[in-house]
Amino acid sequence: MEFLDLWDLILSGVIRGGLYVLMAMGLSLVFGVMNIPNFAHGEFYMIGAYAAYFTAQFLVPDPFVCLIFAGLAGFIAGTAAEKLTFAPLRKYTKGNWIMNTFMVTAGITFILQNVIQATLGVNYHGINEYWGGTVNSLGGIGISVDRLLAFGLAMAAVFIFWLFLNYTKTGNAIRAVSESETGARLIGINISYIHTLTFALSCMLVAIAGAVLLPINPAYPTMGLQPLYKSWFVVILVGLGNTSATLAGGMIVGLIEAFSAYYLGTGWMDVASLSVICLILIFKPSGLFGSEVRGVWEQ
Amino acid sequence: MNDTILNPPAAPAPMGGLNKQLNRLGLSPLSLGLFILLALVPLVLRDQYWLHLMTISLMFGALSMGFDLSAGFINVANWGYSAFMGVGAYTSAILLERYGISPWIGMVVGGFFAALLGFLTGLITLRLRGMFTAILTWFLGLTLVALATQLVDLTRGSMGMMAEELFDSYTKDPYYYTILGLCFITFCVVTKMVNSKLGLAFRAIGQSQDAAESLGVNPARYRIINFTTSCAIAGVIGGFYAHFMCIITPEFLHTKHTIEILFIAFIGGRGSVWGGLVCAFFLIPALEFARPIVEWRFVIYGVFMIMVMIFMPEGIAPHITKAVNKLFPRLKSE
Repeated sequence: MEFLDLWDLILSGVIRGGLYVLMAMGLSLVFGVMNIPNFAHGEFYMIGAYAAYFTAQFLVPDPFVCLIFAGLAGFIAGTAAEKLTFAPLRKYTKGNWIMNTFMVTAGITFILQNVIQATLGVNYHGINEYWGGTVNSLGGIGISVDRLLAFGLAMAAVFIFWLFLNYTKTGNAIRAVSESETGARLIGINISYIHTLTFALSCMLVAIAGAVLLPINPAYPTMGLQPLYKSWFVVILVGLGNTSATLAGGMIVGLIEAFSAYYLGTGWMDVASLSVICLILIFKPSGLFGSEVRGVWEQ
Repeated sequence: MNDTILNPPAAPAPMGGLNKQLNRLGLSPLSLGLFILLALVPLVLRDQYWLHLMTISLMFGALSMGFDLSAGFINVANWGYSAFMGVGAYTSAILLERYGISPWIGMVVGGFFAALLGFLTGLITLRLRGMFTAILTWFLGLTLVALATQLVDLTRGSMGMMAEELFDSYTKDPYYYTILGLCFITFCVVTKMVNSKLGLAFRAIGQSQDAAESLGVNPARYRIINFTTSCAIAGVIGGFYAHFMCIITPEFLHTKHTIEILFIAFIGGRGSVWGGLVCAFFLIPALEFARPIVEWRFVIYGVFMIMVMIFMPEGIAPHITKAVNKLFPRLKSE
């Protein structure tokens, strides 16, 4: 294999991975802060994609406006979901929290998928392009501008989110809750507010991912499955709840996929990457970078 | 001794002797009565559509009992349960198509393969706790879906595989009796298992693996026994499903179907065994009759699921038990 081919593979892997980072960030955050293994994560991706589509189609076809509206839709949907399900669940449930929330998120998946299917149908709702055009990489493969900018926007969103988590008071509060809920309560942090905010932000991030990828993946009701698997892949790879390592994890997943797609074909790519997850779970369940969230498993 | 702890001899009732005999089979007068009632259904109910629905309900009931064995007792939800079912279904269908082996043997072999896979899964997940096992089985299931799609030579990929029907019959009666028999066996095996010393160990592990270990319960052995049995049930019922529906696609192995089983088992009541069976008889026909409102029925289903999880996470089984005990104080079942 020539050097330039290798370069192209790495490039496409990284571009792919950047989006996975954006998708997985929220999943990891929600797990770290709220102990919720979110099965409905992909559905918020779908909401973002639909929001971007309708914005582009009926309001303004400007990518940034689409993105903002998608993020807003994700945020609102996330707030509603948290207030309507997890808040009461937290109040009533006695033990077995993780399993119960997993079931609740499965219920949310059912509801969201079918509401969208009932109201908007099963058709693809896509747009051709945000910016359009392609650029050639060093190795000569054409990479569409949309894909490149999607990568750029994803990285920007992740960076802004990182700044928010580390340099604002609210962001610090979120991290405090993820470290110790009791401790955070002691110093006067409003836990239920932080929970709602965390879930809403997580949904916002994944909705943005859905929006930036709209030209590549058109919106349809069950589109959330792939992002869901990929996000879980990333999160398991780096260790559940380890938000900061998500960046590396997303890139690794992107590269694994790019290489397995090149050598094995796209069909076997799924088999390969899923087998990798199983192997990690068997041999290194705490993930490559270890997880700071501990004690959750010890029933 | 354990027997007396778990099944306190219900006062000096006249049925005491019979009770003891039935307990040996993992039955109680009430459950035996209900199964006899179910066996009489086709004599009264001649409508084929209804029988079809009842067959599917029994199938999901049996599956939910198998699922409950691991979810309700050792507290490990098998998120790849439908994939284990799929292993049984594909095995049976492939054996029939390639080698002309009778589906009856195919179902047993399918169950064996699913059990083998369950055994291996149990073995490799020994170190994992609760959620991690759930996630591993989930991804194992997805891997099997991807494999079933990819191995076109063997499974015809996403086009799906035809499986010849089990009976050459115009009515659904033979299917109904087959699945009723399977369901009955499942019920006996699972109840017998959880009411024995094994069941005590399962519950101990489910509540706290560390505590169980410190009391001298070997979690490895019991977790593997539990997983293998649960998956064997999935495999056999999966084989039946293949020859009942006559077609299997990789889609059949998908998590979506696990969730259906899981809903039924959880709404029925974790750790109750029979709760899922009862629940299936309500949920499956209800879903079927809600067909005219297409997608909205799944929306209602999802809302219902969330409500149950929030307000009644123990499921309906304990409430039914309470009601039955109140109505028939002499029958103290389960």
